Parts: sequence; C-alpha cells; structure tokens
Amino acid sequence: MARIKIDHTKCTGCRHCETACSLNHVAGVANPRRARIRVFREGNTFFPTIAGPFVDAACTSKNQLMIGGQTYNMCLICRASCPEKPFFIEAETGFPLKCDFCGVPPSPSCVRWCNSGALELVED
Amino acid sequence: MYGWLGRCLRVNLSKGAFAIEEISRELMERFVGGRGLGIKMLSDEIAPGTDPLSPENRIIFVSGPLVGTGAVTGASCNVVTKSALSGTAACAKLRGHFGAELKYSGFDMIIVEGKAESPVILSILDDKIAIQPALEYWGRTTSETENLFKKSLGDPWAARETYLLTIGPAGEKQVPLANVINDGFLSVGGAGIGAVMGSKNLKAVAVKGNHSVTVADGSRFVQVVTTLINKLNGAPLTSQSMSSWGSAFFVGLCHEKGILPFKNFQSSSIEEARRIGTEALAEAFALRSRGCFACPIACIKKTNVQDPRFQGKGMAPTYLAIGALGLNCGITDLTAIGMANMICAEMGLDPIAAGGTVATAMELIQRGVATNEDLKADLRFGHAEDLLQALTLMATKKGHAKRMGQGAKALAHEFGNPQVFMGVKAIPMAPFDPRAIQGMGLHYATSNYGPHHLYAYTFIDEVLSAHESCDPRSTEGKPELVKRYQDTTAVMDCLGLCNWPLMGLKFNNMVPMVNSCLGTGYKAEDLLQMGERIWNLERLFNMQAGITGEHDTLPERFLREPLPDGPAKGQTSRVEEMLPDYYRLRGWDSQGRPLADTLKALQLGE
Repeated sequence: MARIKIDHTKCTGCRHCETACSLNHVAGVANPRRARIRVFREGNTFFPTIAGPFVDAACTSKNQLMIGGQTYNMCLICRASCPEKPFFIEAETGFPLKCDFCGVPPSPSCVRWCNSGALELVED
Repeated sequence: MYGWLGRCLRVNLSKGAFAIEEISRELMERFVGGRGLGIKMLSDEIAPGTDPLSPENRIIFVSGPLVGTGAVTGASCNVVTKSALSGTAACAKLRGHFGAELKYSGFDMIIVEGKAESPVILSILDDKIAIQPALEYWGRTTSETENLFKKSLGDPWAARETYLLTIGPAGEKQVPLANVINDGFLSVGGAGIGAVMGSKNLKAVAVKGNHSVTVADGSRFVQVVTTLINKLNGAPLTSQSMSSWGSAFFVGLCHEKGILPFKNFQSSSIEEARRIGTEALAEAFALRSRGCFACPIACIKKTNVQDPRFQGKGMAPTYLAIGALGLNCGITDLTAIGMANMICAEMGLDPIAAGGTVATAMELIQRGVATNEDLKADLRFGHAEDLLQALTLMATKKGHAKRMGQGAKALAHEFGNPQVFMGVKAIPMAPFDPRAIQGMGLHYATSNYGPHHLYAYTFIDEVLSAHESCDPRSTEGKPELVKRYQDTTAVMDCLGLCNWPLMGLKFNNMVPMVNSCLGTGYKAEDLLQMGERIWNLERLFNMQAGITGEHDTLPERFLREPLPDGPAKGQTSRVEEMLPDYYRLRGWDSQGRPLADTLKALQLGE
C-alpha cells in the first residue's frame, strides 16, 4: 500500500503543499485554509500535518513528545481537528476536510509539489 | 478577476480611520501590481518634493497578482514609499509569508498615510481591522515584537497563522538606514523605509485571513507549476548551489573574478575570501533551509550560532551580508558576520546601508581625516567587535554613533571627503565591485532604487553564465543586457515573483504560468514592456524629486582608480562609455530624460 512519508527535518516551511492541495480540491482556488495538509511551525522547525479524524472534544490528557533531545507539545503533530485545534474545517460549510490521497495513480498533489523531500510517496 | 482581489485598505493614521477601496481593473492591467501599482499610487498621491518623514508621505504595502496562488516563488510583497535615505522612490521586496497572508487577509494593497499620535500596530485579523495602541512594543527588537504580539492573541494556533511586518528600534528612531523585517527576514532594498514607518508611529502590520485567491485555469496552472518545479529541480544552480548554501555560494565565484570588494572597495579581497567559502559556512553554523511561500528553492538558511562569544539564532549570512558587513569592513570571521547580520535583523537596519556606513567611517579613520574621538567609537578595518558595537549604537542613536546613523554619504561630507562614500543616489553600494563587472556597474549608475544588484540581476549572465556567457569585464552588449534585466526584474516584482528562479529558468518559461493564473494571453514581450513602463514611471518620479541624469554615475574611485589587485587588476568602470547607448536603448535623451514618444509608446503620457 502506498503511503506518504513525512520527514519534518527536511521541511522548509514553504507551504507549497497547502496551495497544491487547495488548487487540486477546489477548482482554481488557492487558500491554505481549505487545504487538507497544513504546515505547523514550532521555532525553526516545521511539521507538515495531513488531515486526520474529526473530533468534537479536545483530549483531556496532554502529552509531551521528545524528538532529538527537544520536547514538543504532542498536539503539534496530532492529525485530528478538535475544538482546541480547529483546523481542517471548510469555513463556508463547516464541513470537515480529510485527505483523500488524490491523484491517479496515487500521486498526491502535495507530494508532487514538495521539492524539499519532506513529503515522499513510499510503497511497502 | 483572477489572481487579484481588487481590494485596497486605506488607513489614515492621523485620524485613526480606515476605508476599503476598490482597485480599478484598468489600473491593474496597466501597472500589474506590487512595485508597479505601488509607484503609480505614490506618484499620483504625493508631490515629488514631499519630505519623506512628513505625515504626507505614503507607505504602501502591495502584493502582486501571483502571490499566494501557488505560483513558483510567488511570495514577494513590495513596500513602496519615498525613501528617507535617498529621497528617491523606494521599493523593498519582502520575503517570507507576509505577502501571501496579506492576500489571504483580503487585500492586495494597504496604503498608510498620516501620522499616529502614539505608537500603533495595524492589524487585519480575520477581517477585523484595528489600529491598536502599541506603547508596550516601542523600543523592542523585531523578534520580541513578533513574539509579544503573537502571545497577545492568546491562542497559539491563531498565532501560527499570523504574519507580522515590523520595524526595529532603528526605524522608531527614524534612522535613515532602517529597514523593515517580516518573519525574521530582512527585506531586500529596504534602506530608508523603516524610518518612514517609524515617522508614522507605525510599529508593525499584522495579517491573517481566510480569503481565497482564484486562478483562471486551475488545471493548466497546476500543470505549468509542476513543470517549472521539475525544471528548477533539474538546474544545478537552483537545485544544488542555492538550496545548499543560499546566495553565499557566490563568494567563491566572485572571488575568482575579482568582484568581491574589500575595505570599502579599496581593493578586491584575494586571500581573505578563501577563509569564507561555503565549507567555512558549514563549519561555522548548523544550517537549516527555510523557504519563502511557495518556493521550491529555499535559499534562506537559518542558523544557530554556537560560538561562545556570540550566541543566538538567526539568518545565516547571505552573499550580501558577507560582502557588505564582512569583507567590505575588512572582516573575515564568519561567526561575527552572522552576528552582525542578526543585529541588523533585530534592530531593523539594512545590512548594505549599515555596512557601507561603517566601511566609510573606517576609511575616514584609516585616512586620518576623522579620529576615533570624532566618532567616539573605535572603528578599524578588520575588527569585528568595532562593527558590532557600531551597529547597535547606530540603531539606537546612542552615543556619538548618531552621526553615523545619518548614512555614509552624510558622514563622508561631514568630514570633507565625499569621495570616500561608495554609493549612488546616497545609497551605499551592494558588494559587487563595478570595475570587475561592467554590466552591474551600468545598472548601479542608472538604477531607480540605488546601487542594489537585485533590481537587475545581470550577475546571472555575467558571472553564472546561466543563459548566455558574457565576459564581466567587457562592455559589449551590456547596455542591452542591463535594460533587459531591469525590465524583467520590474515585471517580476510587479507580479510578485522572486528573481532567483531566473538562475534555472528563462523568463519565457514563466509566461504560461502568468497567463493560466490571470486568464490573459500575454507574450513575453508584452510583460517586458510592462516592466519598461514601470521603470520609466519610477524614473519620472525620481526626476521630479530632483534625482536626474547627472546622478547616473559611479563614485570617482571606480572611474579613475584602477583595481589594484586580483584577477581584474588594472580595470576601471567604463560606465560613461556605456551610458549614451543605454539612454538611446531606453528612448531617453542625452540627459537621461524619457522622450515624449517613449512615454507615449508606454502609455505613460497624459
């Protein structure tokens, strides 16, 4: 099965994946807030995050994550849209957005436009 | 309407009022956007003789139609005003994400006029426009301002989506060398703009929004952009050199051709450049690439300075910083140059203008016409600590560095040695020695925005030989080359594209992207003609402001003193020889005034 491999150490934060997604799903419209992938910044590091589940309550427990000697708030890489992190919601309709692995054969538009190597399509 | 939103926000700070205006289609078609639209509004709205620091001056933030659409490198936003340093029109190019977010916030352009009574921040956050008091931000560095403002939003997720353009303490004190900073990136060519923002008591502009930018032919556009990304990826200059080192890789190339300046352009750096190449860069810093919005190249390098003397996070020195703050001040310590660059970004100083001023002061002291006591600062070529101290003092107008804050030209005149000032139209020169690169020299002499290489990147052909190979020391064909690059750069700035892709792409390659985005049928010549129109409009504005053909020259040193060493030894700049040809190509008279027919052909006559 093909999957998208995300390497946050390579992400340059250019957000080209966001516009690619938006243009591909809403004909002729570029708007990162209508994209199903977002890049979240934490200091000098960027985390590309692909839309996942839609939940109507935030987690009651908060987790910290150690990556390479640095502590991150786990919400940063969480793919869910929740009241505390209200992303991946179509503003006009309130409809939740989800990655549909677009492109035939699977070659998601975000991966195609990512030139940094942060997003990669892998088969396993 | 595609690409454009057609909306302009006009803010009057004196009245604390704002209004939303429509931008007419005709204006957009004639002046494209960005720099073009900015200069049109500026020349329509202010008298050319206006004092740059008076409330009558306008400061215009304007994005191009391709910004935020996903067009390759469509990130550039321009800040247009009348410069406090030179009195000419000034146009800074912003990198990072501010330009795109300005479009998403629902506006192509913000025009700010008047002067606020006390410091304010202008914010457009999800369609809520506010002019909010900013006393607690006054006096803070740019990164402090950004962090504090984001914290004040009370929501870390909203903070991540908000982008700020700020001035530092230098802008607040109306130091003419002040620049504007967004997302931690110094703007390009912004000398003299920070002071104008400071004179209006405008500390920052914050944007965030949910508006969409529409593209005429979505599927074709996606196809064209994909092709361009692949092309950039296949070109060695954009995929390897720029992506790995940023513009710092020019250091080695310029060294080979004798273009690197040393000690205020007194010689070309020979031995010193070896210590400062790309390998040294990797040794001095842990580099991490940062991309501006929609940029596949990602030439900006973020660093973490580990050196115990200076520690901190900042932007790795680009070629500009290495040349202007480093070699031109005789400094070869990369860590110190990186630190100087960070001070510039934090204090809101322009690295070229500030570096040029320090170099001028150093030469004045070297020649013995000024003493350390006169300037109340130690300023010796090659001493990094002198540079760092001077930069901080200049920005805060503290001590006697106040005099230096007035700029290199004023300083050289004050000490009766005007020939020591290395610049054109009161703006210090970008670090390319025009004696060794003739085309760039002609551009420096004629540029509307002062001697800055990023308004005509002849370097791409003269040194990198990306499209055609021309000898940098020859004058043959240079007037044509300069005119072509000046026009190309003008139209790319208007559209909102960065110049770097020209290292891997021809301008013609970008035309289908423009057309599929805007729904137009332009040919490359049509676009270049727009560039020419903008160039002439800027020229007219400058002429009315008193900057005329007689200012189209280089400092004596480049014309009379041959380069004393290096591969280009014995060369002088032959700009006087090329100038008549250049004027003729532009359709200007022998005094450099655009002819009536030229203006008519460009639809600029009334």
